[in-house]
Amino acid sequence: MDAATYSIGLVVVAIGLIVGFAAIIREKDDLHRILLTDLAEVLALVVIALVATDLAEALILPGLVVGISELMAVSEVYIAKEGLKAPEGPPFHIEVMDSAPGILALILVAYGIVLSGFTGGAVAAVGAVFYFMCRGHAEQFELIETVSGYAWAIWIAAFFVFMFLPAYWFFGVMMAGGAILIKVMAKMSLVGTMRRGGPNV
Amino acid sequence: MTPEFILGCIILIAGVIAAGFPREKTYLSRLINLEIPAFGLLLIMLAYDETLALMTFIGVTAISTFVLVRVIERRDAG
Repeated sequence: MDAATYSIGLVVVAIGLIVGFAAIIREKDDLHRILLTDLAEVLALVVIALVATDLAEALILPGLVVGISELMAVSEVYIAKEGLKAPEGPPFHIEVMDSAPGILALILVAYGIVLSGFTGGAVAAVGAVFYFMCRGHAEQFELIETVSGYAWAIWIAAFFVFMFLPAYWFFGVMMAGGAILIKVMAKMSLVGTMRRGGPNV
Repeated sequence: MTPEFILGCIILIAGVIAAGFPREKTYLSRLINLEIPAFGLLLIMLAYDETLALMTFIGVTAISTFVLVRVIERRDAG
């Protein structure tokens, strides 16, 4: 990619930012503003993606993590502020929610394990979230916390392998990749339990 | 300049306008329109061969859509 492409990309993003922020300024409703924040995040990620090296990939991952955690925090604050309650009556239910979760979650989790690392964790977590959302959940939160705590410790240990035993770098890579996969998947799959509590939803 | 990049830029601009000023100003239509600029971003990432970023973005977008739908259903219910 040459410099001209980069300039054109920057111009496109600048136009997008102007339009996006104009929409945010003209918006009065808070929830619409939260949705437009998501739009601003996409535009910010385009700026990073235009860097077009490994640096861009390294910067996009924390950008995404900060984006999702900010979105979750802001939406929780909004729910608390407006005093919104979960909808009454029987939960949303369609036929495909009975048949799809098993196979789809299996494919996503298997592919996530193949990918490994942070990316694999995110992909596997989508499978787990979908499964929990459709089938309900009855997991022990303490167990998930313990597993993700151990995964974090293994991740740190992998960095010590890199520092003190550089000859075993491949072992370190495998440890770090597997541990961060479990860590991200355990944490993100908790999102799937946010919808409705208890089994048999 | 690859075709993916040009198409990504066009979709990005169209998506920003569609999400910023949707024709029908409901939460759901704006949420659906938000997928358009996301697709533009995916094409731009594809043009630069950023595989990891692309896969992670797809995963995180699915989860963020879930979080937003949760807020919207509560808002519409009460």
